[in-house]
Amino acid sequence: MSMRRDFIVGLVLIALCATLPLFIGMRYFVTQATLFFIWGIVVLQWNLVLGVGGIFSLAQMALFAVGAYATAMFGYYFQMPMVLAMPLAALLTVVVSTLVGLACLRLKGPYVALLTLAVAQVLYLLIVNDTECFTNPPSGCMPLFGGVRGFTRFGDLGFRDLFGSKWYIADYYVGLGLLALAAAFSIAIIRGPMGLAFQALRDNPGCAMARGVSRFKYQLWVFALSAFFTGLAGSFYAVHFAAVGPTAFSFSTLLFLLSMIVVGGMGTLWGPLLGALLLMGADEAMREFGDWRDIGLGLLLAGFVILLPKGVLGSLQALVQKLRAKA
Amino acid sequence: MDVVIQILASGLTMGAMYAISTIGLALVYGSLNMLNMSHGALLALGGYVCYFAMSHLGLHPALGLAAAMLVCGVVGLGIYYVAAQPMLKSANFETQIFIATIGIGAIIENVILRLFGPQPTPQPLNLSGAVVIGTVHIPNQNLLILGVALALMAALAYLLQRTRLGRAIRATAQNREAAQLMGVRVGIVYAQVLALSGALAAISGVMVSSLSSLLPNMGGDPMLKAFIICVVAGLGNVYGAVGAAIVLGILEALAAYVLGVRYSFAILLLLVIAVLIWRPYGLFGRRQVVRL
Repeated sequence: MSMRRDFIVGLVLIALCATLPLFIGMRYFVTQATLFFIWGIVVLQWNLVLGVGGIFSLAQMALFAVGAYATAMFGYYFQMPMVLAMPLAALLTVVVSTLVGLACLRLKGPYVALLTLAVAQVLYLLIVNDTECFTNPPSGCMPLFGGVRGFTRFGDLGFRDLFGSKWYIADYYVGLGLLALAAAFSIAIIRGPMGLAFQALRDNPGCAMARGVSRFKYQLWVFALSAFFTGLAGSFYAVHFAAVGPTAFSFSTLLFLLSMIVVGGMGTLWGPLLGALLLMGADEAMREFGDWRDIGLGLLLAGFVILLPKGVLGSLQALVQKLRAKA
Repeated sequence: MDVVIQILASGLTMGAMYAISTIGLALVYGSLNMLNMSHGALLALGGYVCYFAMSHLGLHPALGLAAAMLVCGVVGLGIYYVAAQPMLKSANFETQIFIATIGIGAIIENVILRLFGPQPTPQPLNLSGAVVIGTVHIPNQNLLILGVALALMAALAYLLQRTRLGRAIRATAQNREAAQLMGVRVGIVYAQVLALSGALAAISGVMVSSLSSLLPNMGGDPMLKAFIICVVAGLGNVYGAVGAAIVLGILEALAAYVLGVRYSFAILLLLVIAVLIWRPYGLFGRRQVVRL
């Protein structure tokens, strides 16, 4: 019942988004919207891990970066077409995330958060501190993982040849399509058996475990599966911006995306997307106060957790329930 | 032989430095179950306050350090009353306070960035000169760090084992409800623990920045290592954390010598993961029995 409702809501939203570029064709708007789709995919998957699975993973941006780097490296070293490189990169991300999950998910709560953060930091340091030349193209020394500079010119989806200067509109629709798939996956997880298992583990861990619901098993599943779309988002990010660098690991981005989830409502289905919309809007509004951006983000994050821990959508749901109970 | 002395000297210095940052974290986790992600920002804040007091106000180094401890202690107190206290009763306190302190850390770090700028600044509290053992030069600053760390640990052990406050902290850590029933004012103990942890972060920040330099985001790396040390020792175990800090410091120096600096952190992490697979509650942590 409610699964069908979610799919209908999703379809309506997608239809609305699909018609948007016909009305607002401004290039800046369209590329920002594409970026919104990318962050939307990442927060939807992160929310599955954090809000639904209860895994406090801070490695999501690292997984995103794995997807982005893998795509760039497939293109750069093997001249692989991007259409092939993107799904391959996403699969590789799943492999990496399974390994990280096997190492980290035996632990609980804050231990997981710290270990995943440390894994992300190690990946970042290994890439940035790498100064040995792997190849020596005319543009200068190139370490295996791109070093501080990262990768550029590793290929694209071919939209520039097909559509000329309007290529960014094609990117918009690719982004929208990927977001739609990620949202469908998210609905299937939350409303499906896996969501039920997590709900059981949350509501009555003793009963659930006695019935044979294994926390480790389900957490590993959700952690590994959600990495597919996280990696794909990173992959598309690399293709869209035609560049990947160590900035993909930046703490500022992590903060931005975590704030989206918390503001929108952790664990709710549409909350993270709402949060992404709100925060990207707020970010746009704060553009003139550039230096204050991170302070504002910090205030938002801390403020919401302290005052409105369920986020905008979660609080609205609670309010509706309360009103219904009264009536 | 010289190599051994060199590795021991730098390893012990690193270990001592980690130990100072770790004690505060372990103390807070032990009593409140709170992972303070703004600890790194407090480290940077302490370093900058000491720098400001000495270079701009012309104060004596001891006063500069005291000012740093005071400011960070007050900020720690603020974190307790603004963030931790309102959500102490909520069901998933551990997750929420973790996220909230990430936000607070970002605020502190960016305020420092606005005030002092992004350029690296040398820490004025710094001893020059070195002691020579054989052919190995050991800078006096490293010895100072070792000395400060040892003195702090002794003071902290005294505080925890011999004073009323220490007994209250230990009692609260063992069992919050029982301590409360025995008349311990738990809220005040928590506030004191956070203030103490802030002051310790300040000292740690001054020491860390005296070896490298002051940067607004300088706290991130030591904090991450301190966390790892806490995890290896078993979260919340103060004495275990000190031991683990020194062992890991020496191991890191060894890995840096044998394999190069690039891989030392990665090796450290692999080691930690191996330890945690073997003992998920840390080396000295007790396995907690969860009551449903």
